[in-house]
Amino acid sequence: MIEFKDVYFEYRSQSADQPATRAINGIDEIIREGEFVAVLGRNGSGKSTMARLMNALLLPTRGTVWVEGMDTSKGEMVWEIRKTLGMVFQNPDNQIVATTVEEDLAFGPENLGVDPAEIRKRIIDAARYVGMEEHMRHSPHMLSGGQKQRVAIAGILAMEPKCIVLDESTSMLDPKGRKEVLNLVRTLNRDRKITIILITHHMEEAVDADRVMVMDNGRIVMDGTPREIFARVDELKKVGLNVPSVTQLMHELKSKGFALEGPVLTVEEAEESLKAVLDKRRKTRGAPDDTAGAGAPSEVIVRIRDLTHVYMPGTTFEKKALDNVSMDIMKGEILGIIGHTGSGKSTLVQHLNGLLKPTSGSVEVDGLECGKKTLKELRQKVGLIFQYPEHQLFEETVYKDIIFGPTRMGLSVEEIQERVKRVLKILGLSEELLEKSPFELSGGQKRRVAIAGVLAMEPKILVLDEPTAGLDPQGSEEVFSFLTRLNKANGTTILIISHNMDQVAAYCDRVAVLNKGRLEMLDTPRRVFSHGERLHELGLGIPEITRLFRNLARAGYPVSDNVLTIPEAVREMAGTAPGQGHDEGGMFQ
Amino acid sequence: MMGNITLGQYIPGESVLHRLDPRSKIIWTVLLMVAVFMINTWQEYVIMGAFIAILLIISGIPVKQSLKGLKPLVLILAITAILNIFFVKGTPLVKIGPVAITYEGLISAVMLFFRLVMLVVAASLMTLTTTPMAMTDGIERMMKPLERIGVPAHEIAMMMSIALRFIPTLMEETDRIMKAQASRGADFDTGNLLKRVKSFIPVLVPLFVSAFKRADELAEAMEARCYRGSKGRTRLKQIRFTMLDLKASLAGILFLILLFGPRFWLW
Repeated sequence: MIEFKDVYFEYRSQSADQPATRAINGIDEIIREGEFVAVLGRNGSGKSTMARLMNALLLPTRGTVWVEGMDTSKGEMVWEIRKTLGMVFQNPDNQIVATTVEEDLAFGPENLGVDPAEIRKRIIDAARYVGMEEHMRHSPHMLSGGQKQRVAIAGILAMEPKCIVLDESTSMLDPKGRKEVLNLVRTLNRDRKITIILITHHMEEAVDADRVMVMDNGRIVMDGTPREIFARVDELKKVGLNVPSVTQLMHELKSKGFALEGPVLTVEEAEESLKAVLDKRRKTRGAPDDTAGAGAPSEVIVRIRDLTHVYMPGTTFEKKALDNVSMDIMKGEILGIIGHTGSGKSTLVQHLNGLLKPTSGSVEVDGLECGKKTLKELRQKVGLIFQYPEHQLFEETVYKDIIFGPTRMGLSVEEIQERVKRVLKILGLSEELLEKSPFELSGGQKRRVAIAGVLAMEPKILVLDEPTAGLDPQGSEEVFSFLTRLNKANGTTILIISHNMDQVAAYCDRVAVLNKGRLEMLDTPRRVFSHGERLHELGLGIPEITRLFRNLARAGYPVSDNVLTIPEAVREMAGTAPGQGHDEGGMFQ
Repeated sequence: MMGNITLGQYIPGESVLHRLDPRSKIIWTVLLMVAVFMINTWQEYVIMGAFIAILLIISGIPVKQSLKGLKPLVLILAITAILNIFFVKGTPLVKIGPVAITYEGLISAVMLFFRLVMLVVAASLMTLTTTPMAMTDGIERMMKPLERIGVPAHEIAMMMSIALRFIPTLMEETDRIMKAQASRGADFDTGNLLKRVKSFIPVLVPLFVSAFKRADELAEAMEARCYRGSKGRTRLKQIRFTMLDLKASLAGILFLILLFGPRFWLW
């Protein structure tokens, strides 16, 4: 299907004194028809460049790429190649051309000069296949991210391709959207035998592939079945990647001397192999609990009472985004806010610094009632960081961008410089960056610089909307490590909106669950995640580790049904000893 | 929240007006608007009003929707009406100090009001029954003959439709960036004009950066879907001048004769 022969690619540099950047560094690879290949690699490893070489958006500097025997560098074949190999891009918004779904689906076939009657037939087929036939006349900006990506896929299906490349197409989606797209891709591969190349840095997405390629520095450094690849946990870590959390757990247990076989990819597999181990063991220690953290002095810093917010009241678009929410946020805590898209999370946090005004009810922050007079003071107390904050950078230099907020607070130059230094240290950024343009930094650096601009205002409360969206595993870890640092060192109260339950379980002191604008739960992660069924009904998940241990405990095995993180799980397993198994019963009451 | 703006305000439907070739709709809207400017007797006003009312009924568009376009014009409407009422000379009805409300002034204010209403309704009849895509298609086809003298008709139409597609997206983005900068202490509402204009730099720069990035990515996505200009391109919706358009055009001509004919007969 696709063949790479000794392929190199260099991006020409902007200025003469900089060397060209080599993005692809010798790839020899064959992808066979009907395969489902996942390509993993950290940001900047060359994944996207490789994808663009496949459909002649880029041409190799050296070597040759063939698609179904067609050489991509031969200009006359380029349309045939792009028809055979469709590509779904990362940003759902920037690949929809037309103002209605149906016109967009038709865009590809129209370009190929397909007969109008045939186009009509194909787009109806494609829309039905991806489950968007109800939305044919809709305007794209009314659709969710997942729906937009399904439209993009249908638009490619209408061109009757043999292969679809998804270039990080799931990275900007919420868990629901991601699931929709992945299920669709899997069915396409199975039922229509379409070759799939899925580029991602979400390890869980690679589990279902036939084959996983790992890229680093423009080379393919590992190539094999998911099982083979995920067995090499340490090597993956070296190239900045992670393994699914159950795989990680089993890996750690094995290194602790548990007799476990082969790498494990899913919760179900992990369950089976742990059962085999636990059958021969009994419990020696009690269940984990939260008493250690509890009892700490708790002072309320944000008081929300009967908060209701209605968007566009009195119009046909009227929408109640928040419905009578009352809650207290404690000083110095890390609070996770979860809820599916549209549950009111963003609306809630925008009340904290007065970007939105309550329709009814009140918000009090650190003794300040939110209102027009207190607005300026309020925004110094509450730092709000939106999704993809790097999109808000605008100054010529990093330094100027960071001091934008502090300058407006009327601080002295010395104080500002002092703060910039402190902030850089917390974020792990070097001072050399200060004179650079924010636009020439890498993605992860840009994100941190943007966050620095808010941190330099030294807010008492920091609110982050999905701070790790779009970052690779290493980047995400960095973000959480400086957030915990900030929380420990300065006592900053931190609110995090997140879709990632593993992160919430590992880092948050408490979790607020929102559903349809109402506060559904507010408690420790352990207690919240013990309501697995209810969360599932709300379209939310629980951490994989939690699910694994809940299943084991329910099956009667001597483990706690409430384990949140990998270290806890390892301790839990270590808390059992060889001896009588659970079959004997009656041991643990 | 600006998330709910609808552009082109198209209201889906299956009426005769919806099914007409966009080209005939564009031409007839222009003709109708010219006619609205030409009418000046009350009889003509009645005929014109009735005709537009019938079109509105045929289209199935709610009256409220069709009048929405009047909103931004209310101020102009009010001012011109007042000017008319007070400054048109004629038989005075009421005297307030030095100025007088005249009978003629009142009449011309009322006529002006109805003229504007009819203009707006006529224009929205087109925009509410035609998708932006169909509209740009129609314009493209009408400009086709100009391609011979070097007018890039297809490219212009493509640019127009992409602009329509991205306006809501960019509005949402502006909203988001403004909120983010406000959170960092930016103040858009106080100070003199210069200061306010300057305060928008932190919004405009990121907006432009992102617009260029979007343009780049969109171009790539279009290329990946085999876009190569108008050459060899077919269209899902062939716009065709059908029997329906012929009938509609005949009806339109009959209407114009009925409207303006009496001017010649009564001569």
